[in-house]
Amino acid sequence: MAAVREIEPIVLDLNRLEQMAESGYYNPYTMFDWPDSIEPDKPWMSENLTTLAGTPMWDELTREQQIALTRWEAVNFFSLNIHGIRELMSEVVMRIHEKTYAHVSEFLHHFIGEENEHMWFFAQFCLRYGGKLYPAQPTLKVASADHLSPVAREMIVFARILIFEEIVDYYNSYMATDQTLPPIAREINRVHHQDESRHVAFGRMIFQNLLGQVMKRDPDEVPLIAEYLENYLQYSIGTLYNPAAYRDAGIPDALALRRRALEHPARIEAHDKILKRTRSFLSKVGAGREVIRR
Amino acid sequence: MSDPIQAVRDFIIERNPKLGEVPDDLDLIDSRAINSLAFVEFIFLLEELTGEPIDPEALDLDDFRTLAAIQARFFSQKASL
Ligand SMILES: [Fe+2]
Ligand SMILES: [Fe+2]
Repeated sequence: MAAVREIEPIVLDLNRLEQMAESGYYNPYTMFDWPDSIEPDKPWMSENLTTLAGTPMWDELTREQQIALTRWEAVNFFSLNIHGIRELMSEVVMRIHEKTYAHVSEFLHHFIGEENEHMWFFAQFCLRYGGKLYPAQPTLKVASADHLSPVAREMIVFARILIFEEIVDYYNSYMATDQTLPPIAREINRVHHQDESRHVAFGRMIFQNLLGQVMKRDPDEVPLIAEYLENYLQYSIGTLYNPAAYRDAGIPDALALRRRALEHPARIEAHDKILKRTRSFLSKVGAGREVIRR
Repeated sequence: MSDPIQAVRDFIIERNPKLGEVPDDLDLIDSRAINSLAFVEFIFLLEELTGEPIDPEALDLDDFRTLAAIQARFFSQKASL
């Protein structure tokens, strides 16, 4: 954590977000009604949000495979949440009593507490109804941001959290009101969406603070950061396409299917929609893909 | 795919247009030609090319360091058939 000493203390106005976290506090362990099982003909994830939606590959599936795909992609989506939360919690816990973060420590306590609860209900859903989580994707033990300065690396930590939360929120906000879903799936998405609106607001503030510190120190680093963030957006989209979910749904040739789906024009359009809000934010603050030097 | 190592080469160049070419002994990891964000895609590509699953728990980074190492670890039996 030596790097943190090179960062200026982070001061943000978080009163309103802290008050909302206090007044919206709930007991996740008692608030959900977990049915013993889910009706066999119900999708667990909105059909429009599956990774084959809008392509002929979806139409070629039997109805049974389509439903199975919504189920295993729901398990994949919740599993990605769980692994994402594990990563972000461990990063935030290490910083929570560092001097740099003293002013935002109060909010970080809410943040970690809420994330721990999210991790619990996502896992409940997967284990109760799917019987498993998908494992985390393999990673290189070598850090992907080693070429950046300590301030920029610090910024990347919070940028990854923010981007991850914004992508997830696109899915949550849609599914929160999707009447085709079983109530428990809708509820989980709704509750998560509520907490995440605060996290995203915080994430954007801290991101801008750290980006400002990077710009002040070395504006030439911004294009490298923009490149990293663009790669991270693409990487995040890729994780939604899990060949294991295709296999579990009984769909053959999972890897070739994944490759074809990722490149399909309908899916590229879908990716642009998912990333639209995040991309316009990044552009607005000066770290969008247009500043990358090719 | 007739030449799997060429597909691997194409994958790397597509993601690193500045590289131009990929020497067999270039350290793909130290040179960041394959970084941790591209690694998952890279594993999926190798799985597809070999037709064999790769156990993420049993990964040895040195198997991925150079094109020569990748050839030896993943494609050598096929090449000799
Ligand atoms: Fe969360
Ligand atoms: Fe969150």
